[in-house]
Amino acid sequence: MATAVLTTLDPASRAATRGWSDITIRNAFIVPTILFLIVFNIFPLIYSLGYSFTDFRASTNAAANFVGLQNYRDLLNDPFVWSNFAITAKYVIVSVVGQVLVGFGMAMLLNRDIPFKGLLTTVLLLPMMLSMAVVGLFWKLLYEPSFGIINYAFGLGSFEWLSNPDMALYAVALTDIWMWSPFVMLLSLAGLSAVPKHLYEAAAIDRAGPFYTFFRITLPLVAPILMIAIIFRTMEAFKTFDLAYILSSQPTTELISIRLYKMAFQEWQTGRSCALAYIVLIMVLAITNIYVKYLNKVKER
Amino acid sequence: MAAVRTSGEIAANRIAIVAVLIITLIFLAPIYWIASTAFKPRNLATTVPPTIVFQPEISPFVKLFVKRSQLRTQPTPEEYAAAPWWERMVFDGGEKVVRDGKGNVQWSGYPNRFMNSLIVAITSTVLAVGMGTFTAYGFSRFKIKGEADLLFFILSTRMLPPVVVAIPMFLMYRAVGLNDTHWGLIILYTAFNLSFAVWLMKGFMDEIPKEYEEAALVDGYTRMQAFFKIVLPEAATGIAATAVFCFITAWNEYAFALIMTNRRAQTAPPFIPSQVGSGLPDWTVIAAGTLLFLLPVAIFTFVLRNHLLRGVTFGAIRK
Amino acid sequence: MRKTITGLLAGASLALAGGISVHAANAQELTIFWAEWDPSNYLQELANEYEKETGVKVTVETTPWSDFQTKAFAEFNAKGDAYDLIVGDSQWLGAASEGGHYVDLTDFVKKNKVLETMAPATVKFYSEYPGNSGKYWSIPAEGDAVGWSYRKDWFEDPKEKEAFKAKYGYDLDVPKDWKQLRDIAEFFYRPDQKRYGIAIYTDNSYDAMAMGFENALFSYGGELGDYANYKVDGIVNSDKAVAALEAYKELYKFAPPGWAKSFFVEDNQAITENLAAMSMNYFAFFPALINEASNPNAKGTGFFANPPGPDGDQFAALGGQGISIVSYSKNQEEAFKFLEWFIKDETQKKWAELGGYTCNKSVLESAEFQNATPYNKAFYETMFKVKDFWAVPEYAELLQQLNQRVYPYVTGNSGSAKETLDALAADWNATFKKYGRNQ
Repeated sequence: MATAVLTTLDPASRAATRGWSDITIRNAFIVPTILFLIVFNIFPLIYSLGYSFTDFRASTNAAANFVGLQNYRDLLNDPFVWSNFAITAKYVIVSVVGQVLVGFGMAMLLNRDIPFKGLLTTVLLLPMMLSMAVVGLFWKLLYEPSFGIINYAFGLGSFEWLSNPDMALYAVALTDIWMWSPFVMLLSLAGLSAVPKHLYEAAAIDRAGPFYTFFRITLPLVAPILMIAIIFRTMEAFKTFDLAYILSSQPTTELISIRLYKMAFQEWQTGRSCALAYIVLIMVLAITNIYVKYLNKVKER
Repeated sequence: MAAVRTSGEIAANRIAIVAVLIITLIFLAPIYWIASTAFKPRNLATTVPPTIVFQPEISPFVKLFVKRSQLRTQPTPEEYAAAPWWERMVFDGGEKVVRDGKGNVQWSGYPNRFMNSLIVAITSTVLAVGMGTFTAYGFSRFKIKGEADLLFFILSTRMLPPVVVAIPMFLMYRAVGLNDTHWGLIILYTAFNLSFAVWLMKGFMDEIPKEYEEAALVDGYTRMQAFFKIVLPEAATGIAATAVFCFITAWNEYAFALIMTNRRAQTAPPFIPSQVGSGLPDWTVIAAGTLLFLLPVAIFTFVLRNHLLRGVTFGAIRK
Repeated sequence: MRKTITGLLAGASLALAGGISVHAANAQELTIFWAEWDPSNYLQELANEYEKETGVKVTVETTPWSDFQTKAFAEFNAKGDAYDLIVGDSQWLGAASEGGHYVDLTDFVKKNKVLETMAPATVKFYSEYPGNSGKYWSIPAEGDAVGWSYRKDWFEDPKEKEAFKAKYGYDLDVPKDWKQLRDIAEFFYRPDQKRYGIAIYTDNSYDAMAMGFENALFSYGGELGDYANYKVDGIVNSDKAVAALEAYKELYKFAPPGWAKSFFVEDNQAITENLAAMSMNYFAFFPALINEASNPNAKGTGFFANPPGPDGDQFAALGGQGISIVSYSKNQEEAFKFLEWFIKDETQKKWAELGGYTCNKSVLESAEFQNATPYNKAFYETMFKVKDFWAVPEYAELLQQLNQRVYPYVTGNSGSAKETLDALAADWNATFKKYGRNQ
């Protein structure tokens, strides 16, 4: 890809005679960045692709043996790894659906003349700017069954958010919803404010009900921008590590990133974890691809 | 929508306003709770029911900064009287301040980690925004073959899950001795933020009219002069916004810091959760550490509010 | 804008320069790595004495238990020199010695007669690897094992005593065997009063579940396997082991609600927050329970050693750590000097006074030590009846497999004890086979 940059085009005539030519400038501006990203992002991946076919362990001095596709085969036959993927899928669905419902609902409420609207929206953005790790830590205090503020505020007695294996994943998702609903809200607001007012006026004249207005006017017009939010959040939720890792270490909340971390840096099965990393990588790239395609489409609009 | 106003709509509007206020309060409650816990005496942090009204004190912050150890024998009244005010706060909590062999008070790990976070976040931000601005200009102003592919490539490097990249990086850093160094983290964060900076800055650059530079070129500026004298000042707001976003990302990053650092270069995010104390967690101290750490981000969020949408969507949405 | 950028750059370079000067190598400094708990603070105080004597500054760096193992091995595997000495878990010996991370201390141990001054069980479990090989990798530093704390004030309440006697036919007192332990747990289990019977370890990360279950297993006469020939089938799933696992699961029924995720922090909280009548924990976490600032029930808290099982076997799970020199340290000579000072009788005495659990035989046996705290006597009794987990290099995988199998059984309702342990034996067999140990 880098070679594409070097091919000549558009030798800007006038500027080229003084100082650096445009081509030099262009290359000087772009090539270092591309090289930097190749060295620190792509090269490591090639490096780990090699290890994924070996039984290498970074914790021993033993040489790595080539084992072919053994790691991939074992991983795809490991029911625990499959359950990690299932947990991840469940987490992504719960947290993204939750964010869309809460975020879009908030946007609908906010999309009107409200005193201090600017201040309110700014304040609502705070959660998503915070560190996931630190948020996870203090939500532990909020979820605490006996003295936590959540159980007290909602009168839930000593409801076990994190220690109940069946509840823990929802608790992690709930924290994620708290953090990221404002993001969906922000995007939805941008979409809502772009809906032409005359459409609503026309609907009012036609005596259209609120449901009709919502499903036939609002939703279709906001949908493209909402879609960006959904794909983006799906991608991020799929990668979640910090939040779940700090909030809970239940087997029922062991997302695929956590399994990968444990395999690589607690059990030191370096070769096998490289193989798992590749399986995860392919999935993320697929979602990224969808995201970028969609993003470009919206940008062209 | 303000044009049409029936009594029903006015009522609906009022209900919506009340609902918005309630939701905002619910969203802010967790942040308020952690902030208030940071000023509580330890015995009020975990009461049932939760203590809402209390006499605020700064002992959690004192404890956050000094190394402490569980008291095994109570201090004598003379010792207590001779101790400075902050040491008395530690005594009151059933602990004592640890001093080194020379009698100097020992710091806890917190100030050091906070400093590391500053070093790593600031340096990587400067590098990423610097390189990103040049590259974004290149993409914005010159025709490049396969531009869409290159931009996709740049963005996709940001999408890699950190743990996936961390495994080979750990091995490579081990080979060259970059584990647990500031530079090791700075390079990782720069790579991570660079792609983001390019995307965001390209949007800002696209908005600066080409005519400005063309006029300058006609006036006899070289392309480089035009870039530095015309384009950069025009892009200042964009650069500032991008910088703050990069800073926040680096400041908040957890997974790389957890894996790649240990003692020397560890940043605050992996350190703060580790302060669960000895046997029984002291939530007031954890809250104090958390609050100090969240403060810069909270301030920046207010500064950034008009650019936020753009930043969190890689510049896809403008506002 | 340029001003801002220049300002940022200047700030960053200043900060970098500051950061670097702080970390300049200094031969007169030693760094010890340990976990975040009271004994590390006591060790810091002890090390401050060393600085007074020699001028060498010793810093004890800590990280929480939950990631201590990961941090230590990440540092070892990165061949990092951030730490000169490390106070590492006994299970690590195999991995750390075979991986070349620890300096061989065999000559040091022999020259300084460590075998004679330290309690035999501690040298065996904290220092020697492989078992009975005569090769030593560390010096016993912090002796520790699992014991029990209990609510003396509840136990001594005459009304409770009477009701207990009426129900079970014997006096309510510190349990004399696992059967009584179960009865007392059942007796105090009163969800309507928000009081519960017993707090046990259930956490499924690292070694919490293993350490908890071992107390039942070893006292029931069971074993985790034959450490000499890696045989596990028929041992870890023997009838005794199955009975022990069933007994452990039964205790879980009497634990406070939400007890599926508990380790030392939660178990101490069970006492401080009036949740449980009895609570399992490492002795090293007991200081917080006799400090009135952290435990409002300090005066009403007592301690006892892990009781015997049905056949009279009495053992407890070993905790504790030895101190080792890291192979990648650049200050090994200084580190050896520190160890020489550390094992002196008077240093060990001071170590015990500060709150450290010394492994020094003469200090342990002294009446002064045994009466120093309400739990020292139980500690002394326990330290001669301890057993430990596998110390092989792949111990982390063995723990993970144990967590995957035993955790769902104890905290959930999946399968039977026999099925659980059969599956565990099969997992372990496969792991040993993978590393070519049981051929």
